[in-house]
Amino acid sequence: MIGQLNTLLEQLDALQARAIEQLEPIETSAQLEEWDHTYLGRKRGELTNISSVMGKLSKDERPVVGQKINAVKAELTERLAAKKEALRQREMLQALEQERIDVTLPGRAMPVGHMHPISRAIWDVTQVFVKMGFHVIDGPEVETDYYNFQALNIPEDHPARDMQDTFWVVPGQILLRTQTSPMQIRAMQQMRPPVRVVAPGKVYRNEAVDASHEAMFHQVEGLLIDEYCTMGDLKGCLERVARELFGESRRVRFRGSYFPFTEPSAEMDIDCPICSGQGCRTCKYTGWIEMLGCGMVHPRVLREVGYDPAKYRGFAFGLGPERVAILRHTVEEIRLFSGNDLRFLKQF
Amino acid sequence: MKVPLSWLKEYVDITMSPEELAHMLTMAGLEVEALEYIGASWGDAIITAQIVHLEKVAGSDHLSYTRVNTGEEELGIICGAPNIKQGDKVPLALVGAKVGDLTIGEKKTMGYFSQGMLCSPRELGIGNDHSGIYILDPETALGLKLVDVLGEVVLEFAIKANRGDLSSIIGIAREVAALTKQELRIPQVNLHEQGKPAAEMIQVTVEDTDLCPRYSARIISGITIGPSPEWMGRRLLAAGMRPINNVVDITNYVMLEFGQPLHGFDYELVRQQHIIVRRAHPGEEMTTLDDVKRKLTLDMLLITDPEGPTAIAGVMGGAISEVNDGTTTVLLEAANFQAANVRRTSVALGLRTDASSRFEKRLDPELTVAGANRAMQLMEDLIGGTVHPGIVDCYPSPSQPRAIAFSTDDVEWLTGVKVTQHEVVDALSWLDFIVVPDELSNGMQVIVPTFRTDIQESADLVEEVLRMIGYNSIPSTIPVGPLPEPQVDSWFEREYAVRNILIGAGLNEVVTYAMTSRARMVNLLAYADFQSARALLQGAKSVPSHGTSTAGATNNGASTAVVAFDTRTLPAVTLVNPLSSDHDAMRLTLMSGLLETVQENSKRSKAGLRFFEIGRRYLPPVAEGNLPDERRSVGIALSGPAEISWAAELARPADFFDLKGVVETMLAALHISRYRFTPTQHPTFHPGRCALLELLRLASDGEETFSPVGVLGEVHPVVQQRYDLTQRTYLCELDLEQLYEAVPGSLTYQPISRHQELTRDLALVVDERVPAQDVHDAIVQSGGELLRQAALFDVYTGEPIPSGKKNLTYSLSYQSQERTLTDAEVNTLQEGIIRTLHDQFGAVLR
Repeated sequence: MIGQLNTLLEQLDALQARAIEQLEPIETSAQLEEWDHTYLGRKRGELTNISSVMGKLSKDERPVVGQKINAVKAELTERLAAKKEALRQREMLQALEQERIDVTLPGRAMPVGHMHPISRAIWDVTQVFVKMGFHVIDGPEVETDYYNFQALNIPEDHPARDMQDTFWVVPGQILLRTQTSPMQIRAMQQMRPPVRVVAPGKVYRNEAVDASHEAMFHQVEGLLIDEYCTMGDLKGCLERVARELFGESRRVRFRGSYFPFTEPSAEMDIDCPICSGQGCRTCKYTGWIEMLGCGMVHPRVLREVGYDPAKYRGFAFGLGPERVAILRHTVEEIRLFSGNDLRFLKQF
Repeated sequence: MKVPLSWLKEYVDITMSPEELAHMLTMAGLEVEALEYIGASWGDAIITAQIVHLEKVAGSDHLSYTRVNTGEEELGIICGAPNIKQGDKVPLALVGAKVGDLTIGEKKTMGYFSQGMLCSPRELGIGNDHSGIYILDPETALGLKLVDVLGEVVLEFAIKANRGDLSSIIGIAREVAALTKQELRIPQVNLHEQGKPAAEMIQVTVEDTDLCPRYSARIISGITIGPSPEWMGRRLLAAGMRPINNVVDITNYVMLEFGQPLHGFDYELVRQQHIIVRRAHPGEEMTTLDDVKRKLTLDMLLITDPEGPTAIAGVMGGAISEVNDGTTTVLLEAANFQAANVRRTSVALGLRTDASSRFEKRLDPELTVAGANRAMQLMEDLIGGTVHPGIVDCYPSPSQPRAIAFSTDDVEWLTGVKVTQHEVVDALSWLDFIVVPDELSNGMQVIVPTFRTDIQESADLVEEVLRMIGYNSIPSTIPVGPLPEPQVDSWFEREYAVRNILIGAGLNEVVTYAMTSRARMVNLLAYADFQSARALLQGAKSVPSHGTSTAGATNNGASTAVVAFDTRTLPAVTLVNPLSSDHDAMRLTLMSGLLETVQENSKRSKAGLRFFEIGRRYLPPVAEGNLPDERRSVGIALSGPAEISWAAELARPADFFDLKGVVETMLAALHISRYRFTPTQHPTFHPGRCALLELLRLASDGEETFSPVGVLGEVHPVVQQRYDLTQRTYLCELDLEQLYEAVPGSLTYQPISRHQELTRDLALVVDERVPAQDVHDAIVQSGGELLRQAALFDVYTGEPIPSGKKNLTYSLSYQSQERTLTDAEVNTLQEGIIRTLHDQFGAVLR
């Protein structure tokens, strides 16, 4: 029986060798399943078949063969598991490879909206003042002659009315405001000092529209009334605006001017942010850019709203957001702001 | 105001360069707008020369051959001008010179060599005259560069409306003198008066002294009208005035010099030798110097004689008494007229003259005599003739110089600049103020010179001091006063909140003109009938909603019989002097500007047409004389795909639900939760694709009602076509103020329930026309408090759903704050909902 035992053991060795040899080239799960079935199958698997001869062995031989069978089984089971894992890995890689996409295709972006550059300029200007405790207010664009002119020390038949060609709704009475300055009067009537307001909004001038003139544009009016306030404060505040909007190193200068509702009046220039005052096309080689008109509120305006000029004083200014946007973005035509061309709007 | 520098230098010494002068004056408030360099283009090759020989060119009817002496050589020149004669000194452009665009070359004409060109004023760019050669002063030396003889720097000032005194060269010289601390030289008068006193030759009656505070007149006789001297003509041209004749030129010259407008009458043509200054009579007319017959109104001041008007005071003389070639005696008027009246008259007649623009800035009445005397002096010196003794001067109430109490504290009070009494006295004295300092304080009495009509109170003096010591001396400080009460909520911030939400939703902000026209607004209406127009005008308010319409008031828009509508009757805020007829009304809606924006942009690209505008609609006032109701509004427009993209969902053209989604996003971001969309009709929109946005509002009686805040929908195809749009386009307009009424003031946290949530699906079949909103409302109402959410997740029509029906599938979530719900409880609630839906809509379960 020794011979039979040896044959059996050899068979088992051969079986293992064959199984391993056949396992090697297997590429698919189906083949692997068949292999599993062929060798390890419980019913007609070859290992099972060999086990079935166990009954014919002697008591001594059984454990020898049993151990051998178990060893082969363990070996093949382990190899099967390894192969399974390898196949699973490969199939996953194949599946992933099939899912390859062109990552250079444009993304599915949310549409991006754009704030109009004038809205942006108005926001930025007002925030400088909000930080200094100013309120932001607004008021009617269709105004009375009283608020737009008379209360601002511009009586009827005053030549200063030439400075502002007016659109009239009711001649002599109702008009499209030519400036945001009527908000000075409205603010002083509605509040008591200390008054700190900025009033942005649309204004209208009956002017031929060209590259640098618009019939509708915007202003930001500023007003501060208090028991203590000087033109130095005006200069300091406006210097902040210039620096916040156009860079820390900006310098400002005041020069004499005339507005009926301020005394003394001034124009403020800033050193050209394009060339830093060296002289360029934008500043017409002067190094300075006209920025805005301003001054100390005229005593007659204070008296008009019942403020005592001996007790209260204050400053006022009117700034053009279009001017700010033109300088910030080097826009050459004011008309672009009302043109609403997407190719323009999307740049901001 | 144009000021030739050489003329200015007659009154004050100026050593600085023209550019430095311009800068100094600009900083002091006399803005120099431009510097003009006359002769800068002439170079070295245009020189002075004298005609030494002149002959007609045989065979030509107008050409002459001249020999000219340049001082160094003699050249032959062919010239076509008729005005030259032997001995004339003329500008000569040598070969190689550039005259305008022309480069002078040697050429041969009709057998003569021409070695240069003689120049006319127009060729030199110093006048419009091209009828002859510019004849130089006989005293001119030969061979000089012309630029050294006729060259000039002209400063162009923008004179501010308050400074009538600066509309004169002496006025500007006074500022220069004060700023540079130089002496001011005013021309002296030394007349040789003879003959009959003026007062015996002319009578002056001022009837309306309120409009004519002073009227001064002088007479000169025995004069001959002719051209004025070359230097005077040149100065007038450089200052922008055309030389006419010696008398008129002298009146203009003195006006530019002193700022006092003058008018010369032909004395013989003043009837009955009587000047009467009065307001116009009813129906009066006259022909002015420019040969225009003008209708006069009762408030216009006239210079008349007993037989009729001879001039419009302060504006323009009349043709009837004009100085002419035969004039031998001149009556010179130097008057002061009330500023406002001159301005009103000149505006009413559309006649702005050099005189009126000066008078309207308020002139010094003291100036009349100085001006009249100076003109007499020039006439005597330059024309000859006899100046008659005396001035006829009507000046019933002479102006008194104003005195102002002033102090260095006033300067510091307004400017923050510390000044000494000495500095203030010095600054003001240089400007011809008389200052009497108080020895015991910082105070002083300041006597204002009469020509400074702009100086009324101490603030005005502060500015004068500041101008003299320089605006640069103002320190830079930050306000130190107490802050106002904090501002709680501003429309400014609200508008920016909405702006940022819409930008976040991928929309582009536009700013369109608020000025439009009725026709442009009516373009928005598929059918222009009166009802439609009213809808447009009143926005959402007038459009009855599906749920709240009352019988009889329903506006069915397009389906209503069209009532003929005259566009002009659309009530809108109207401009009487618009830019153009396209801009003569203030907009009643943002939608027309938005649609025009879509139209313009769609010419370039069909994608990305996503816009919004935050602005006002201007509703005409209910009562005349009131201001319009300016409604803060937001408008939205979508058209076509969001972008050109390979991704189908992005390339998909916008539809109604994209627009509605934007609106819902905005509502969610504003925490507005109680609203509904209701189908409606609106003349701008597709009848089946238009909704009203309604917000739940608590009425004063405590009842909750929905009220409309705006409308949204697909633009009616008729309207779409009118704007050349090939893609379906969507518009929305909401009233921001009404919208904000529904924004909660604060947000209160709702505890998150710890109890289990039970969900049930609900699939219903209802009539296709039943609005989903109504079904949803009914579910919510019936479900009560325990129904947490009802989310629609499927809408289906088609097999096997019968035609005319649709299937709606909801996911309902039930949850209690206090306990875990049982299946039985939820089933009961669900059955209640199903019953309600069946009762209300005939809904059946699918």
